[in-house]
Amino acid sequence: MIVRLGGWRGREVRERELREELEAHFQMHIEDNLRAGMSAAQARREAALQFGSVDAAKEAVRSGWTVGFVENARQDLVYAMRGLRRNPAFALTAVLSLALGIGASVSIFTVADCLLLRPLPYPDPGRLVMVWESNPRGSALYNVVSPANFRDWKAQNDAFETLAGFGEGRGVLDDGRRVEEVGVQYMTADLLPMLGVPPYRGRFFTRAEDLPNTPDVVVISYRLWQGWFAGDEGAIGRKVQFGARPATVIGIMPPGFYFRNRDVDVWSAMGLDPARDYRKSSGRYMMSLGRLKTQVGLQQAQAQMAAIAKRLEAAYPVFDKNWSVKLDPLRESMVRTVKTSMWVLLGAVGLLLAVACANVANLLLARQNSRRREMAVRSAVGAGRARVVRQLLTESVVLALSGGLLGILLAVGAVRGMVALAPKELVGTAAVAIDLRILGFAVALSLLTGIVFGLAPSLAASRADLLGGLREDGRGSIRGNSGLRRGLVAAEVALSVALLAGAGLLFRSLMGLQGVDPGLDASGVLTFRVSLPSARYPELPRRLEFHQRALDQLRALPGVRAAGAINTLPFHGMPSGTYVNIGGRPAAKPGEELLATIRTVAPGYFHAMGIPLRSGRDFSAADNTLDSPYRFIVSESFARKYLAGEEPLGKQINALMQNTNPFGEIVGVVGDVKEGAVDREPTPTVYYVHAHMATGQMVFVVRTAGDPRSLTEPARGIIRELDAAQPVADIEVMEKIVAETFSRQRFSALLLVGFSMVSLLLAAVGIYGVLAYTVTERTREFGVRVALGADPGRITALVLGMGARLVLAGTAAGLAGALALTRLLKTMLFGVGVHDPVTFAAVPLVLATVALLAAYLPARRASRLPPLDALRAE
Amino acid sequence: MVKKSDVWQGTLALMVLKTLETLGPMHGYGLARRIEQTSGDRLLLNYGTLYPALLKLEQEGYIASEWGVSENNRKAKFYKLTRAGHARLKQEAREWDETAGIIARFLTPERDTE
Repeated sequence: MIVRLGGWRGREVRERELREELEAHFQMHIEDNLRAGMSAAQARREAALQFGSVDAAKEAVRSGWTVGFVENARQDLVYAMRGLRRNPAFALTAVLSLALGIGASVSIFTVADCLLLRPLPYPDPGRLVMVWESNPRGSALYNVVSPANFRDWKAQNDAFETLAGFGEGRGVLDDGRRVEEVGVQYMTADLLPMLGVPPYRGRFFTRAEDLPNTPDVVVISYRLWQGWFAGDEGAIGRKVQFGARPATVIGIMPPGFYFRNRDVDVWSAMGLDPARDYRKSSGRYMMSLGRLKTQVGLQQAQAQMAAIAKRLEAAYPVFDKNWSVKLDPLRESMVRTVKTSMWVLLGAVGLLLAVACANVANLLLARQNSRRREMAVRSAVGAGRARVVRQLLTESVVLALSGGLLGILLAVGAVRGMVALAPKELVGTAAVAIDLRILGFAVALSLLTGIVFGLAPSLAASRADLLGGLREDGRGSIRGNSGLRRGLVAAEVALSVALLAGAGLLFRSLMGLQGVDPGLDASGVLTFRVSLPSARYPELPRRLEFHQRALDQLRALPGVRAAGAINTLPFHGMPSGTYVNIGGRPAAKPGEELLATIRTVAPGYFHAMGIPLRSGRDFSAADNTLDSPYRFIVSESFARKYLAGEEPLGKQINALMQNTNPFGEIVGVVGDVKEGAVDREPTPTVYYVHAHMATGQMVFVVRTAGDPRSLTEPARGIIRELDAAQPVADIEVMEKIVAETFSRQRFSALLLVGFSMVSLLLAAVGIYGVLAYTVTERTREFGVRVALGADPGRITALVLGMGARLVLAGTAAGLAGALALTRLLKTMLFGVGVHDPVTFAAVPLVLATVALLAAYLPARRASRLPPLDALRAE
Repeated sequence: MVKKSDVWQGTLALMVLKTLETLGPMHGYGLARRIEQTSGDRLLLNYGTLYPALLKLEQEGYIASEWGVSENNRKAKFYKLTRAGHARLKQEAREWDETAGIIARFLTPERDTE
């Protein structure tokens, strides 16, 4: 062992001693030969012959040194670095290709991992299942739940360990010093314990506290505790005002806890009234979540719940007509809308990575060709085959790891950018962060790339016959692996075509979506929400008065053209909806009721939002009083669908929104607003005037001639002046709210366009590389051709032709692949078919243009070679 | 005559040890020539293979090396047997004798049947 450690003596010393020892051996041999009477030359020659290869001997001794392995690795690394430094264009292209491929894959994978792969942060999350009501006939597959049905499910099922209910909203929190609107989830007492995450401090609410007319208690988020209460341990037990009622803080959730929605800071008891018949007094509005018993599968539970729903339908033929139950794993319910986009993006980065790898393999092959001589020399002077392979592998692994490292840096930036750019629904439910596992994934990916794409060229190189390699004068190796290289480039082209086609389709959908008239004019509109706490504004007239005064003052601001208010903004969340009746018609049969979206507006809203009045009039100030008769405004589609062929103005309608639902006259018809998403049919809508459907929360809508953001402070000032304690929330430009609707489509389209551009660039580099190399290899041939009178144009055409063949083959394969693959995009497209002819015509055109540019440079060089130089080229 | 063949490693090590025991410290070239001479020039030693064998023996502690001056006043590395080397040689020689004896019995059966 000690002797072995002695082997660590300085490398230089050891090398020198070995050299001297062998040299001494040599000289002594020569001297002996001379003494034996040989001539000087003969003596030398004989000694050399008998010794064999000095380098092989050295190599054999070196590999005996205990540190031989480390030594060789060090040497390989030095060679690799030297080789790469000697050819920076190659190194840079390869590293950048890989960095782009790996950076894109890692960033998309990170987001996908958070959304789709990582388990939800609760114990045994696979058994958590959302339970929806489902009315396939009314195309409400996953519908919110009636409290009455929920109660019956809970009593009758034995598939769930627990079945809990919850709802979401926003409420005003007030501790006497600070007032703010926060996100809240109301839940039955068994929901938090069912999730299985214990409170960080304090406790959850009990079943007894989850009854109506009990003192309110709230559990708050860690974030709120830190931010609002500065982490004060005395926060537990603190009395606050939440919404309309006083409440006590009883618990704090651990950091990072969330349930379906990260924008929630308060959890409060739902307080369902056991004595109340919810089928009489309300519709469907809550949600429910259950934890399956361990031995019960999803299918089994679904069957049992459907059976229960069947019984309920029989027992309540009006309320439950056509309503069944649909079970939905919790994660599935959270990612359903984004899943397709995510998989498509993952697929796209996969393609991009493949293009990057093909590009690197191509570069490595080209490099190996130009280094056959070097490798042959190395073998000839005694480098073993394994050593040659190892050296080449070291080089590709160095490349791959540098690419990977740069890729990770890119990904860190890209993930940040994506989170900023991505639609809320995409990243809203996940804390997107690159973690160690993903770094491991990236490093493994780059190593794999380096080894797989370094190995083939290395093995080929190590097999290269020595004499051929040494003798090689640049002509011998045209064949070599150029077939493989052409194949790789064609593959790059094919993959790029597929990516371009996908990007094209998504981009055209996006254009189509943005071209759709949303039914309102969002430009120049500022919106902000004011939720009057009913504790301070218990009576309706005071609330009406507050809004009236605020609107009057807003209208008086310089530059303001119109102002109004609505309970919930279009393009923002789900509006409520209910059944309506038309005066003079018999009540609708069960299952055939007329469904309408219900909104509440203050006079002036339609003008402020730019919604055209088709006939009749807007609500007036006189309509907006408690004692005025009920009047309604309906949307065009309401008139078209429910009052076809009749004059809507003057018709009496009512909507089942409250305990008493008096009929009222239709006084106006306004244009449709594309509800929820612009690519869906507008739903018939009924507008109440504020006084007749008073909600505490109203969103002010202010239209200005200039930049709507400039109104932010003046508007805030007006509300503050009316009530200094009144918070103003969600100040936002309407254009942005509308744009958020297409954010998923825009996000996917932009990313795919980016990916396809990168892959196009890589393919162009590949085409350029292969052709430039061929031109160099065939320099002499071109010289001969020109010398024999070939026109330079012919030479250009020849080289371009080679490029064109590559591109044609690749494009054909790519188009075939794209025609099959774009089917997967079906649900993401709007207004274009999966085989949209414009896209499928444009893609090859774009590709051909870029490819020809890439091919033109080497072609021009070939045609301009002076024939004499070319002939002399060696 | 044996075709002039490369010597396999284990045998080469034994030859090196025995030569060093007989002749005392020697340099690599001397060892090589001596082994050839002893074999009656029937063995052709590829001198390049000698040095890895020497390194191995040195690493195993059977020989030690130091720089000295050759008979022709040339700086050379001299190898000598260590104590462990002596023991090793004794053991190797005994094993070789045994092996050779066994093989001999197979190859000259008539003496056995006498």
